[in-house]
Amino acid sequence: MTETNRISARNVKVFYGEKQAINDVSIDIASEHVTAFIGPSGCGKSTFLRVLNRMNDTIPGCRVTGEIKLDGQDIYGPDMDVVQLRARVGMVFQKPNPFPKSIYENVAYGPRIHGLANGKTEMDAIVEKSLRRAGLWDEVKDRLTDAGTALSGGQQQRLCIARAIAVSPEVILMDEPCSALDPIATARIEELIDDLKGRYAIVIVTHSMQQAARVSQRTAFFHLGTMVEYGPTEQIFTNPREVRTKDYITGRYG
Amino acid sequence: MTEPALPPQVSTWNSPEMAKRLQGRYAAERRFKAIGAGAVALSLSFLAFLLFIMLRDGLGGIDWAFLTGSDSTDADTAGIWGAFKGSLLTMGVTLALSFPLGVLAAVYLEQFAPRNRWVDWIEVSINNLAAVPSIIFGLLGLAVFIQVMGLPRSSALVGGMTLALMTMPVIVIAGRNAIKAVPPSIKDAALAVGASPVQAVFHHVLPLALPGILTGTIIGMARALGETAPLLIIGMRVFAAAPPEGVTDTATVLPMQIFLWSDEIDQAFVQNTSAAIIVLLAFLLAMNGLAIYLRNRFETRW
Repeated sequence: MTETNRISARNVKVFYGEKQAINDVSIDIASEHVTAFIGPSGCGKSTFLRVLNRMNDTIPGCRVTGEIKLDGQDIYGPDMDVVQLRARVGMVFQKPNPFPKSIYENVAYGPRIHGLANGKTEMDAIVEKSLRRAGLWDEVKDRLTDAGTALSGGQQQRLCIARAIAVSPEVILMDEPCSALDPIATARIEELIDDLKGRYAIVIVTHSMQQAARVSQRTAFFHLGTMVEYGPTEQIFTNPREVRTKDYITGRYG
Repeated sequence: MTEPALPPQVSTWNSPEMAKRLQGRYAAERRFKAIGAGAVALSLSFLAFLLFIMLRDGLGGIDWAFLTGSDSTDADTAGIWGAFKGSLLTMGVTLALSFPLGVLAAVYLEQFAPRNRWVDWIEVSINNLAAVPSIIFGLLGLAVFIQVMGLPRSSALVGGMTLALMTMPVIVIAGRNAIKAVPPSIKDAALAVGASPVQAVFHHVLPLALPGILTGTIIGMARALGETAPLLIIGMRVFAAAPPEGVTDTATVLPMQIFLWSDEIDQAFVQNTSAAIIVLLAFLLAMNGLAIYLRNRFETRW
């Protein structure tokens, strides 16, 4: 299988006001893989993730230099529409954040604002397909009108994944999606990530090295705002090239 | 380096000194509760006294003729409907102006305005505006609405516009707090599926903030309903023998009617004054009740 690079970033630097959060990161993210970002707290991995769909635009004083291309198109370029970008690069957050609306409405919101469905039947189909892909359909199909916030934490997070899937993104960014979940719910999300990886390029930020090892094919190790090492997950965990990576994965710090 | 000295260890928690200490703490607790309850009782007793006097003097004056009539020189035929309708029209104008202006200003300041010195300055000004004495708004209304814009004196239109100036900052402040209380994660969620910032705010943030905004609006409106001073200045101190037909007609409002009747020499107007106060208080209580109902009904818990 030949690899296609969905996202390629070159010499990316991110500043919050005077403070530099990311220094000179270059990375290619392939469409067939799950890519994991690992590293100690404050290393910039979440910042870098949020740069990839310009969610950092909402933070005052945040500045990005360098080049990030999605399918060859510069996402910080003048002809990139940020609304469209975020539909193409979906995001799942650390804490499940369903809208305080019905399960159906949570999933239907994205397709509705982008005009992706023609009429109720098509919308119903999109909602069902998205919930099926997120592995939530069987649990909620009889109560689509119930509030999304009434679901359990793990179900809420899968609902958020369904919401992201519903607008047919090319890339899904996940910012520590399991950090608020118990081990069983975590296992379900990890299975789901495995199911989704053929269809979407997935980038996951995680604090858990075991999780990175379980779900990803590629791992990038971040430390103090730089990307120390990036390679196949197996190589990073068994035979890291850098001493800092080795020290981190063997638990010397972090 | 020497360690700082800790207090000597207590030999026993059951010693008489300890028991005495505990007793003292419990006594302080009881004293505070007694003083607090006393403060509540004192303030309530004033309210009870006021209500008692009003009901004793006024209840007999409330009948169908009083509730449907307008002002008259004869205390027996004078009624409250004219002033009540004047209040309704004035409040209608106030709400129609201050609610959209206040909510839009709150949304803009909270969600879209850049963070800089100018915006800080505007924020301080709005907070100060809410504290400006109402009579000053009356002078502004007289100067701008009546003298410059030439709108009809003594009308519900000018009264409503003047009170809207007063109510708007209250709605802005309540609105901003309500918008601030919506978790940013909801806005992030909307942005992340590709909603534009305006869509994220109007589809998600604003509906969640609405109960808080409505509560603040009703409290601001209740304050405007009881306002007399600015309306004195724009000439709503009038004898209106017929209820106003529209917002440009000469009108008076409930608190103004109370003021006018309380000024009458004829002793028979004492009952009318008290009855009018009962009507005004009932109106205010109904508005505050609505605010509490809305808050409880639509409050979202996170």
